[in-house]
Amino acid sequence: MELGFHLVGLRALVTFSSKKLLLNRRWVIVALMAALVAVVMLYVASEGSGTIDEGSTLINTLILSFLLPIMSLIYGASMIRNEIDDRSITQVVTSPMDRRVAYIGYYLSLCVVLSVMLVIIESVGWASFFLTTSVDGEAVELLLSYALLLVIGSFVYSSLFLLLGVVFRQPIYLGLLYVFVWEALVGSLPGAIGQYTISYYIKVIGSHLIPYGNITQFSGDAGVAALVLAALAAVFLIIGAWAFREKEIP
Amino acid sequence: MSDPIVIAKDVSKWYGSVIGLNNFNIEVRSGITGIVGPNGAGKSTFFKLLVGTIKVNIGSMLVMGRSPWKNQSQLKDIGFCPDYEFLPMDLTGTDFLRFVGGLHGMSGQTLAKRSSEVLKLVGMTEASDRRMGGYSKGMKQRMKIAGSILHDPKLLLLDEPLSGTDPVVRKELIDMIKGLNREHGHDIIVSSHVLFEVERMTHDVALLYKGRAVASGDISEIRDLMSDHPHHIVIQGKGLVDLAKSLVDKPYTVSVQLWSDRSAITVEVSRPDELFDSMPELIAETGCQIESMRSLDDDLESLFKYLAGW
Repeated sequence: MELGFHLVGLRALVTFSSKKLLLNRRWVIVALMAALVAVVMLYVASEGSGTIDEGSTLINTLILSFLLPIMSLIYGASMIRNEIDDRSITQVVTSPMDRRVAYIGYYLSLCVVLSVMLVIIESVGWASFFLTTSVDGEAVELLLSYALLLVIGSFVYSSLFLLLGVVFRQPIYLGLLYVFVWEALVGSLPGAIGQYTISYYIKVIGSHLIPYGNITQFSGDAGVAALVLAALAAVFLIIGAWAFREKEIP
Repeated sequence: MSDPIVIAKDVSKWYGSVIGLNNFNIEVRSGITGIVGPNGAGKSTFFKLLVGTIKVNIGSMLVMGRSPWKNQSQLKDIGFCPDYEFLPMDLTGTDFLRFVGGLHGMSGQTLAKRSSEVLKLVGMTEASDRRMGGYSKGMKQRMKIAGSILHDPKLLLLDEPLSGTDPVVRKELIDMIKGLNREHGHDIIVSSHVLFEVERMTHDVALLYKGRAVASGDISEIRDLMSDHPHHIVIQGKGLVDLAKSLVDKPYTVSVQLWSDRSAITVEVSRPDELFDSMPELIAETGCQIESMRSLDDDLESLFKYLAGW
């Protein structure tokens, strides 16, 4: 009875929030990013060697390392925070749906929308590069492998940035600090410190799936990396759901 | 007398250094209860405590016997219509109710049937397929109320439902709110900063001022308190010196001040009704000519200050 009640509520919230995210004006930014990726990849395809290694490196650098955390931050940190600020969250927090379940609803819709948008951007970039060079089975496999990494990354980054949005009033600044200082700068340092980033574990999994480009530089156990990412997402999700339940929403 | 559905005992709530409610006490019983107070009196804070979106700092708050904080399941029995705009403007009225119904565990035919009933009840059937961004203020208020009664709650909380509406819409909303209690059995707590609006809906009223319930009970008792409230009345005209002399001797007069240009006097009275009643006699007695009389205390603020003893 209770489970059925919450499943109906979860479905309503996921549907509503997904539509809200997709219809948001920020899709213009997403379209611009997709266009930028397409232009860069098209340019490199025409001016560079046009090999699959080059295509893989571009997707890794432009989309997996840059767009994935940035878009997760933009959408994740503002999702619940904006609803609290403009009070559109009223209907959710004054419904009998357990707030922790509602939080999972927000999380799922964020993951789905982010995954879809990132895979579309990746597909546009991939098409710009490989349709002007050569499309074969390996190129298609590359597309699918990166799509899987983007989906995995969306689930982990979303759990982190959604949590920041619930806990902090200005989550974007903290998120930018995390993305550019921790993930990008610290993550690129030599030695073990680079392993303390989400990006590292995604790329470890990627190095087992993709034998092309600079992603192959990452080595490690893919199973362990998957476990670490799953554990991180679960911990962030649990803390976020708890914080959302405890939060006063004036 | 029925058991109270809301009991607030010594409740204090503050936001940083700002006090929302201060040692607040109230008992609300079945029927319609009006909460009246000026802006910043603590009405919205009271409602937010009732739905458990915020928690009390000191004291206890019980709604239908249970504390509302972190008691989300209790919201099956409570419907809340806040005073602010929160409707998703991109959605149609029907889609909004579908979303709200889903959050309350409703789906399929049950939800469709109930949505249709509620839309009819609030008079929004025809406009339900339009985007809410194009709704008038009155239509938005109706949709907010529709969302709050969709799950057929026992207790309905309406925070300033008449605010910003024109007199025609206001009358329709008042009739609707009365009907929700009389015909559909919802217990209702409704707030306003206009006493006479609440008076048209109920006789059970609580007056809030600066976070405290300064008076509560039947409206007639409140009216009695109000009639004892000292009023400042400005009387303009000619021959006012004699009138001022006569007024000084009256038992209801607290003070009389003659303006420097002698065009008016300001009279402070403890019982304004007696002053108004005796005016024909005073005019005849002193031969003054009155051009106008007006009270300086028409605003609720001064009344609340008086009732709060400030």
